[in-house]
Amino acid sequence: MLIRDILEESAKNYAEISAVKWLKKKEIQEMNYRELLENAASVRKGLLADGFAEKHLALIGSSSAEWIESYLGIITGGMVAVPLDANLPGGDLVDLINRSDAAGLFLSRKQAGLLEQILAECPKLKKVWMMEDAAAFRRQEDYDGQTVSGGNASAAEVLSLADLKAIGAGSMADADRPEPERIATIIFTSGTTGRSKGVMLTQKNLAENVKAVQYTAEPGSVLLSVLPIHHAFCLVMDWLKGFSLGATVCINDSLLHIVKNMGVFQPQVMLMVPLMVETIYKKLAGADPSIPKQMVANAVFGGRLHIIFTGGAHLDPYYIEKFNEYGVAVLEGYGMSECSPVISSNNPDDNKTGSVGRPLPNVEIAFDNGEILVRGSSVMKGYYQMPQETADALKDGWLHTGDKGYLDEDGFLFINGRVKNLIILSNGENVSPEEIESKLALGALVGEVAVTGENNGLTARIYPDPEAVLAKGLDETAVEKELQGFLDEYNKTQPTYRRITGLVVRKNPFLKSATRKIRRQEVLVDEPCS
Amino acid sequence: MTQEMQFKTIAAQYCGVKPEDMTNDMRFREDLGFSSLDFMSFLGELEDTFDVELEEEEVAQILTVAEALTLLERLQEE
Repeated sequence: MLIRDILEESAKNYAEISAVKWLKKKEIQEMNYRELLENAASVRKGLLADGFAEKHLALIGSSSAEWIESYLGIITGGMVAVPLDANLPGGDLVDLINRSDAAGLFLSRKQAGLLEQILAECPKLKKVWMMEDAAAFRRQEDYDGQTVSGGNASAAEVLSLADLKAIGAGSMADADRPEPERIATIIFTSGTTGRSKGVMLTQKNLAENVKAVQYTAEPGSVLLSVLPIHHAFCLVMDWLKGFSLGATVCINDSLLHIVKNMGVFQPQVMLMVPLMVETIYKKLAGADPSIPKQMVANAVFGGRLHIIFTGGAHLDPYYIEKFNEYGVAVLEGYGMSECSPVISSNNPDDNKTGSVGRPLPNVEIAFDNGEILVRGSSVMKGYYQMPQETADALKDGWLHTGDKGYLDEDGFLFINGRVKNLIILSNGENVSPEEIESKLALGALVGEVAVTGENNGLTARIYPDPEAVLAKGLDETAVEKELQGFLDEYNKTQPTYRRITGLVVRKNPFLKSATRKIRRQEVLVDEPCS
Repeated sequence: MTQEMQFKTIAAQYCGVKPEDMTNDMRFREDLGFSSLDFMSFLGELEDTFDVELEEEEVAQILTVAEALTLLERLQEE
């Protein structure tokens, strides 16, 4: 079974049911399963006719009907889709496009400002397709259909998705069904060395994860997708799993509008990260206590929500209990991109609060000094062009997760610590402290720096460079002010989750190991070295 | 209730600071303890309450209560 089989089966069984709904100028738009299959097939055949068979194709944009039909067109044709985080700075995106060897790029119109830099710095790109509002793009820009010259390393053509689909719709030739072991997608994830790693997931990995997650819903059930689509959790569980059930996946157009859109689309099921559960709880708890809880729940959740699946980070069980009082079951799961992504999940009929559920039927779990190891049909093939990192993570077919945990007597998995040096924020983002530290170390006043995850955000602990402080003649207050100014400037260039929200100015250098590395377990200690 | 007090009453839902104790130089993240999503959700409420439309890109640079109030006033004038 491939994602292509799942999609074709759904289009056959649920042809007229809405597959995707979204808002355009406050009006609900929709695409049914028959149209979704047709559009994906047009993208696939268009790419084939354009000479992109077996190539890597990147996507930059937030959730949209165009994004998902492009993604499905790529993977159902045996090409490799590389979803990228649209909020990353331009330089990071250029690096990932180049490192993933992408020959084509699907770019959201919102990110059109990146086009010039991408064309100038991504020599392997042959074509860029603008996703939404192609007609508007044509009027405003003269890139369309032309090879852009002048500082353009790739000589890539810039076209619209509509152009590509028109080619595909008129083409008879179709791609063969991909082999199950072929790479379907490369998903970038934070690496502990500060360099993000491209997780290679096969056709089989994705399809097996979709099948193995124990959740069923009536065709036409409504999901509201609020997570970023380039994340494996959202992509596989909201979209691919949703499509396998014949569900209607509704797009939340902005993080500003989650609650409003729950009222608009009235979802029955949502996937969230703990951060969202915490924020929504504030809305519930802030309501007038004299109003019955069911009325509050209807106002906040839209009236039909009964299940929230959470993952990506630990959720305090307190919220599970509290949401239950409002008639909503919060079911925690566990996963990582390397496992396509779900490893275990609580489900409506079988769950235990505080656990992350039972392992899926297609995975085996083992432990090595408390570290959770995973083996099975949804475990990745490896990291793209990173043989050392792959060998470190995959040993004899077992994925070393970096998380510590145990199985209880009933077979439920519990997580109780981490082995790797990654900060897991409650929005599910994994942040490598080294990656940020290397950037902060460039500050003129920064002598030594360590980044820690505290209070749901990142804190920079900085030991100012004594020589720089002396040369500038700064007192303590001035040092702190200047460092805060430096952090504010850094933050402006970063996506929200990588911003530094706390600053601690140290009086002493960090304690170091024999190899002069900062001892991370002791970064909170600020005492003179003995 | 003044617009500023209405604004601060909404903000108080997301933090432990009372509206009357909220000063305009306070930072949402560092001083009021908003998470990134609390901030977005708060802005969504401002949109509904004051009938304005905010852009995610525009609000991403806001750090303090004063900056948010200024943006709100500017949008209402437009």
